[in-house]
Order: sequence, then C-alpha cells, then structure tokens
Amino acid sequence: MSKILVVDDSSTVRDEVAGFLRKNGLDVDTAVDGKDGLTKLKGSPGIKLVISDVNMPNMDGLTMVEKIRGELGNSTVNVIMLTTESSPAMKERGKAAGVKGWIVKPFKGDAVLETFRKLAS
Amino acid sequence: MVNSSSFECCRKQGSKLNENKPVSKVLVLEDCPAHVEAIRNFCDENNLIGVKVTRSRLASALRSNFDLGAIFLAESYGGSSEESAGIARKIHAARPELPIIMRRQTGAMPNDFPPGLDAVVCGTYVAGDMASLRKVIDEYIFNCEYPNALVRGISELTSPVLGSVFSDMGVAVDAPCLVRDRIIFGEVFSLIPLESTWCRGYMMIQAEEEPILDLLNRRETSQGAADFRDLNSLLGELTNLIWGAFKNRYVGDADALSHSQVQVPLLINHKQKYISFGSESPHLCFTYRLKDEQSGRTVKLHQRFAFSLSWSPEDFREFEQVAGETAGAGELDLF
Repeated sequence: MSKILVVDDSSTVRDEVAGFLRKNGLDVDTAVDGKDGLTKLKGSPGIKLVISDVNMPNMDGLTMVEKIRGELGNSTVNVIMLTTESSPAMKERGKAAGVKGWIVKPFKGDAVLETFRKLAS
Repeated sequence: MVNSSSFECCRKQGSKLNENKPVSKVLVLEDCPAHVEAIRNFCDENNLIGVKVTRSRLASALRSNFDLGAIFLAESYGGSSEESAGIARKIHAARPELPIIMRRQTGAMPNDFPPGLDAVVCGTYVAGDMASLRKVIDEYIFNCEYPNALVRGISELTSPVLGSVFSDMGVAVDAPCLVRDRIIFGEVFSLIPLESTWCRGYMMIQAEEEPILDLLNRRETSQGAADFRDLNSLLGELTNLIWGAFKNRYVGDADALSHSQVQVPLLINHKQKYISFGSESPHLCFTYRLKDEQSGRTVKLHQRFAFSLSWSPEDFREFEQVAGETAGAGELDLF
C-alpha cells in the first residue's frame, strides 16, 4: 500500500492528521521535523505523499522540500504543506520548490481526504 | 487561598463599560462610604472595575492572581494615617509592580506625598478632585493606546482557533483588561515573540494543568492517560495557531521590518509566580472560558500581550486577505 508521511513538530498535529488518515484506511508514517522527514523518505521508497508543516526546528518544511527535489533527486513524491503560514511569498517559494498544494491550519480531514487518496495512489 | 469570590466588586448596577476600550481592575481600600460611592462613579466613567477585600484577607489576596492594574488607598484606611502608611509599605514590599494611588485628606496638594511614602505611593489626589486621580491612572494604567481594531480583532481571531482545538466545548471571552501585576495564572504557559513593523513583544497562553489534563483524558484515545507532555504539545500548537492568525492579520510583510533586533531576557520564576518582560508597562490581557456544554464545567485560559520591545500604535495596520486569492482555512489550495 502506498504510504503517506506526516511531518510536524507538534505531536498533537501528527496524531490528529495521521490518526484521521489511518482511520480511513491509509498507511501513514510520521516525522518530527524536516531533517527527520528527509531521513524517513530516504528509508521508505513507498512514500507517495508528504504532508508537512513549514515552521519546524532543525529543518523547516520548505527547506526539506527543496532538499527532497535537489539532494534526493525525488521529483515524483507529492508534497502538501499544512501550516499556519498564508503569505503569498511563502506559497511562491513552495510552488518553486515543487509543492503540490497548500492548506492553512486547522486541518479539516473530510474536506481533503479524497484528494489525499488520489495523491497517495 | 483567596478566590475571586472573596473580592467584592464595587460597580453601579446596570452600568456599562466602554466595550471598545480595555478595562482595568483596581483594588479599593477605602473606609469612607461617601468616597466609596465617588470611586464607584469614577470607575464607571473610566473603564475601571473596582474590587474590595476585607482587611483580614488583604495579604493573602495580594499573593493571588487577580490581574490588578492599581490600588486605591485612603490615607485614613485602617483608622489612622500611620496604619494606612504601614499597609502601603507592606503592599509595596509584597507587590512593587502595583501602583498605589493615595487619597489624601482634604487640604493636601495633589502629588504631595505623605511623609516617608514617596518611594511607595506613585500618586495622590484629594476627594472632589477626581481630575488628579484621572491623571494618575492615565499615567500608570492607560498609558498605552490600543487600537480598537486590534483589541476587537485579537478575540475575533483567537476564539475560532479555540473552537477548532476544543471542538466539543463552547468558547466565551471576558472584556480585555490592562494588568500590571506579574503573578502567573496556573502552572503552565507558552511564550512566543511577536514582531512587525509596528509592534514587538510576546504572546503568552497560561493555563492550569489539571483541568486541561482532565479534558484531554475525557477524550477517547487509545494512547492511555494524558500527561504533561501532551498538555505541552496541545498548548504549543494552540499558541502556534493563534500566533499564525495574528501574524496573517496584523504583521503583513515581516521583511519590511526596519527596527534592529533588540531582545531582552524573559524572567519566569514559577515558584514565586513571577514574570518580567523587562518593562514596567501594563499588559493587554484577555480571559477565555471554555465550557463543556454537557457537564457545565469550565476551563479558563488567559491570553496576555506585552508589547515591551517596541510600540508605535500610530503605524498600526491591518492586512486584508483579498477574496478569491487564497483558500479558506482547512481547504486545500492546489497549485
């Protein structure tokens, strides 16, 4: 089964998002920051969708995406940012890094579930 | 331990506060019934909430969290000027951050301090000259202009966040108030800097540990009983959400920040329930009450803004999100 990786420094958010996706039959792994996310992605080629926060310690979400595309050379994994940030400049940076979509928190699972399924398949 | 019910509020029945302006609580230590009435009228006219406490409970009251802005003390309180002076010195020793404003006997000049109290009392007035009292509270309490849109907007952006995190509870918010005391509410708090071209400071969310853990444990999870780490995470994410909403609405383009990055250390002494932001100015505070509609139990959260690093209300701006350019919160904006 295709996997989804949820990356957020908040355990509350990781539990909420991963819990919702698992409850709906999806296979989910989690990471605590951008550095951990890169490690998890390197070790799990089955990950098809990454849902990530922006503001995290050690490595922020957008830097992680830039490294996924650059250092890891992975241009196929879909990335959705789930963040409090909504500035156009931040979104442009995300787009340029290859982010597929943007959700401003709070997370509303029912509104995005089907899209997440498609992006993870 | 003194709780809020030990304080008697001296407000006129039916009086209305100016809801666009933060209020402040003043502890009224006054034996003269005629002047209690004068203070009641003054409080109504000046967005103050007067609270009284019996003399026997004064010491324990001052050790509790009541979010006071100042103390009004009569020169004859306690029966004599010596008694009153002793009380003033004890209050100042226990709570030096609280300004003591003394009503002097008729005939004294404004700001003519009683002997030996010039380092303890911050201002004086005489009965019948409330303009002098007004001047002192303007200097010590209402010395910062908070734009109405900011005061209104903070609770407007915070309440829905609380509603989304605590979706099984109702959210109510008290009138915002200006607070000088530095006693911490509860045992746990989060602290995050706020920076923009027009303000720099901190936001803090404070809570009591037990009610929130109880709330978390009442939610069904397969992960066992909640502990303080779960509370830390919840409070941290709540702070993050509110901070993000505040930034989106009031900060705008932070790259335009032209101030130098001055920082001052935050001093938090939890055992003494003491905090310092490096400034003596009052803070703008909000109290939110989360109510479990089924059980009727409530949980309080205090929100405090200390714009202690920079404050230029004349440059205050609000950034509007243009309709159609961005998806709403929780919706996926596909590129």
